Parts: sequence; structure tokens; C-alpha cells
Amino acid sequence: MRRYFLLAVSFSLLLGLLVTAWQESRHPTPISQTPTLTGQVEYCLTCHAELEEISSSHPVNTFGCVLCHGGERLSLDANLAHSTMRGGKNPSDFTVVQDSCGGANCHSGISESNNDHIQRATTSIQATYAGAIANIRYTFGIRPDLKAGVGVFAVQVPRSTSGITELAAFDPTQETNPFIQIFSQNCLTCHLSALPLPGKEYFRFTGCSACHTPTQSAYLSDADQIQSNQIHKLTTVISYTQCDTCHNRGNYDLRTMTFEPRQDLSTDRLHDYYQPIAQFTSCEWMLDCIDCHTRTEAMGDGNLYSVKKDIQYIQCKTCHGTLTELPQIRTLTDPNDLAFRLALLNPVIDLKVGDTLLVTEKNEPLWNIRVLPGGTYELFGKADDQRYIFRPVKGSACLQDLTRQDSGSCHQCHSEER
Amino acid sequence: MSNRNLSRRDFLKLASAAILTASGLLGLGGLFRFLNTQTAPLPPDEFLLGPASNYPPGSRTLLPDIPALLLHAQSGFLAISLICPHLGCTVESKPEGFFCPCHGSRFDPQGTVTRGPANKPLRNLRVEVTSDNKLRLYTN
Repeated sequence: MRRYFLLAVSFSLLLGLLVTAWQESRHPTPISQTPTLTGQVEYCLTCHAELEEISSSHPVNTFGCVLCHGGERLSLDANLAHSTMRGGKNPSDFTVVQDSCGGANCHSGISESNNDHIQRATTSIQATYAGAIANIRYTFGIRPDLKAGVGVFAVQVPRSTSGITELAAFDPTQETNPFIQIFSQNCLTCHLSALPLPGKEYFRFTGCSACHTPTQSAYLSDADQIQSNQIHKLTTVISYTQCDTCHNRGNYDLRTMTFEPRQDLSTDRLHDYYQPIAQFTSCEWMLDCIDCHTRTEAMGDGNLYSVKKDIQYIQCKTCHGTLTELPQIRTLTDPNDLAFRLALLNPVIDLKVGDTLLVTEKNEPLWNIRVLPGGTYELFGKADDQRYIFRPVKGSACLQDLTRQDSGSCHQCHSEER
Repeated sequence: MSNRNLSRRDFLKLASAAILTASGLLGLGGLFRFLNTQTAPLPPDEFLLGPASNYPPGSRTLLPDIPALLLHAQSGFLAISLICPHLGCTVESKPEGFFCPCHGSRFDPQGTVTRGPANKPLRNLRVEVTSDNKLRLYTN
């Protein structure tokens, strides 16, 4: 009996060793890299060498993979290597973005250095969704006014200058009105932490990547890539198609408190892409959203707001001026001007010290719009790379009413036939 | 016919011994492999650049593997690191100075910052002429 037992133990030992050797032989030969920023060896490229560089600002030989994505840098086992990744495939999700993209030298610096991106994005109205929630709670009598009190997550900004310094987390279970509960089930799909609606035309990531990873450009060119979510890119070249993963994708029906999504993704932008009743000047349908709307309008300025119009301030007159005033301008004299940094990230324009740019009423540089010698202006499309020439209103035959400077008034004469 | 029939006991003994021997060899092989694992070498901090005569006075030589720019100035040999002090990208050497393609920092030809976000100059690296008139560059 003892002999059988010894044989069984010996056989088990040999079998165990053979299985271990077989598993070892299946591991690929590691490809190591030591990013200059971390100085720590990582083996991620063993399996991911084919991935394209995520952006020119984040070269892999400088940043590596683990600094942003997390993970077990020395593991050759896929499950173990990926087990501690931040945010799954998306380290920019707001639940992990501070660990992935933060740091004083990266994206959680100070506003004076213009690198407080995380603080601004996570307090923006696109992230908090405070405006929509406030509107619904006001409509159904929960609040006496439209001032935001809750967001999709709790956030505090003690130094906010908007009059709102904190938002509590929206908790549908505490709401007594059934319409607000239905709203919470059906209508919280368009903030930056929400997963997109089903359908390739809605596909986007969450967090920073909702805007900065071009899923819709990829969709238009490579449907397979978007279906497999294998998009490894960060960019400031954000086309209107990316904005439309949330905007212009359907209508809210307040009778049923549901979102009625559009199913089409038309390519005829003027005639059948937008809502039929809307009016547009050529700027609004020919340019990309980011050609006019600034970084703080889209990403916030670090304050908490109740409604979109509190942060979105660009109007026709910002670029075209009025009958009596030209648009505001700034001549670049400081090589550290923010305009140079923004133009570096998306080099559609070759800016030089001495160039004169348009600036907004809040002194934000419209870095893609340069003043030409003849008193006209040239705009370089940030996403389509096209050059557009336009004139100021002053000196033209425009009949504008100086007291009415909203775009709706301009539409009365300048909207396109649809 | 041979008379040497193997008894069951002897067979079990032999089989056990064979399996244990194979296991031992396999285990020793694994141990040998483990002990011979080559760890990734640390990045070198010392580089031999060959004869000093290869770098005539006034020359500017790009050393991409370090990465650094070797200058033969009137005062002698000196080298400027091409690692950006902001986040570690490799800066590009241009006639007017140095440019970081990652975040746009600029430096004059001496490595002094002229545009952020970098807030420190490019590092000067020590270059030594050996007794046999060759150049040795130190990155630390």
C-alpha cells in the first residue's frame, strides 16, 4: 500500500511540475520599457506594443502605461496585470481621474497655471448635471427657484464665486415626487459620468474621454474599432460629432419624463442633422462647436453653476463686434501666453509673438482667430483645418439693434434656409 | 525467455524512483532558470564617446541614445541633457535653442527656459577627457 502511495505522490509532484513548466512556457518573452518619468520597469508593451501613442503630449517612452492606467507593471499574466487598473479601459473616468491624471505638474495644478483641468471639469455643469436636476426639482415644486442644490455627485468648492459653494449628491430615493424618480431613471444619461445610450451614434467614454477621445470620428472611419472600444487617443481636436453624442441626439418628453433618442446619424448637417425648428447661421452649422466655444465654457471655470447660460457666454458679437465696436483683440507679446500652449496642442495655426488675436469678453484667447491687416479676420477650424475669412459688423450695412445682441436676433437676418 | 521477471514491488519501486528523478531534474531546471534570470539592466550613467578628435572645435553633436547634445566650445567640451525638466520628454535641438514637443517648453541655446511650463533649465552634463584623449560623459 505504501508503495502505491509513494508512486501516487511522485506522480502528482511530476504532474504539478509539468503543469507549472507548461504555464511558464506560455508566457511571452517580456518586452520591458523604463519610462523616464517613473524610472520603473514595466512589461505592458509585451502585449500592447501595437497600440498607437495616445497623444504627442503623453509619449509612452516618457510616461509609460502604468502611471496613467495603473495595473501590475511586472506581471505577464493578463488577468493579474489588469487586476489593479484604474477605471478599467478608461483612467479618465471621474471616479479615478485624480489618481490617473492628477498631480501638480499634470492636470490638477492651479488655475493661474491653467492646468487645473480636473478641478474645472469635475465641477462643470456637464459633470454635475446640476442645471437639469435643478430645473426638474423647481418644475415639480421641490425647490422655490432654479438655483442648483444637488448634482449627480456631491462636490464642494469653497472658493466658488458664483454664489454656489457646494452641491449635495442627488438621491432619487429621497425624492417623493414620482416624476422626479422617473426622471432619475430615464434622463440621467448625458452627464460626463453617465454611460452612453446604446447605439454607435451615442458611443463615447466617460470622464475626460467623453470629449477628448474621438469615438465618433473613429465611428465614421472605422466601425469595427469603435465596436471593440479599442481607441487609444486623447486629443483637443474635438469635432461636432463628438459633442453630438450627447447634444442634439433627441428630445426630452416632459409628459412621460423620458428621453426620445434620434436613431439617425445624418451627414447632411444643415438640412437634416439638427432639430427641424432650429435656426442656424453659417457659423453655427459649418464650424465645429469648439471653433467658437471656449475651454471654460465647455470644461467650466472652477465655479459651480445652476444653468448653462451662466457659463456659456460666447455670442455673435464676440467675434463680429457691433455696429459701434470692433471685437476685442490682444497682441501676443508674452511667449508664455496661453494661446501658444493651446495652439501647440492643435497646431492648425502658426502663432508668433506679435500676432493679434481676438479675445472674448472674459479675455480668453480665441487663439484660432487672427486679425488680418485689412481689418478682416481669419479663423482656422480646430477640427476641420479649414481657413475662413470674416468681417466685423462695424462699417457694414447690418441693421442690428444695439440692445439686442443675442444670437436669436442675428438669426432674423442671417439664418440659413433649411 | 528470461528469468528476470519484474515483480510488482520492484516495478513500483522503479517507477517511483524514475518519476522522482524526473521531478528532481525538472525542479533543478526551474531553480537553475530562476537563478539565471537576467534582470533588466539599470540605465547607464556613463558613456564613452570615442576620440576627442571626432568632435572638432565649434561642433554640436547630437547623442540620441543618451539623449544629449555635445558641444565643443572655446572653453572645452560640455554637454546639455535633452531630457525636459518638466515631465521628462526628449527636447528637440534647433538652431535657436531647444523645444519640447510634448508641452511646448522652449529653452535658449544655453538651456535656459524661455517659455514654460518647464521652470528649470536643461541639465548640464559632465564631460571628461581621459588620459588617452577620449571623451567620457556622465549623466549623474
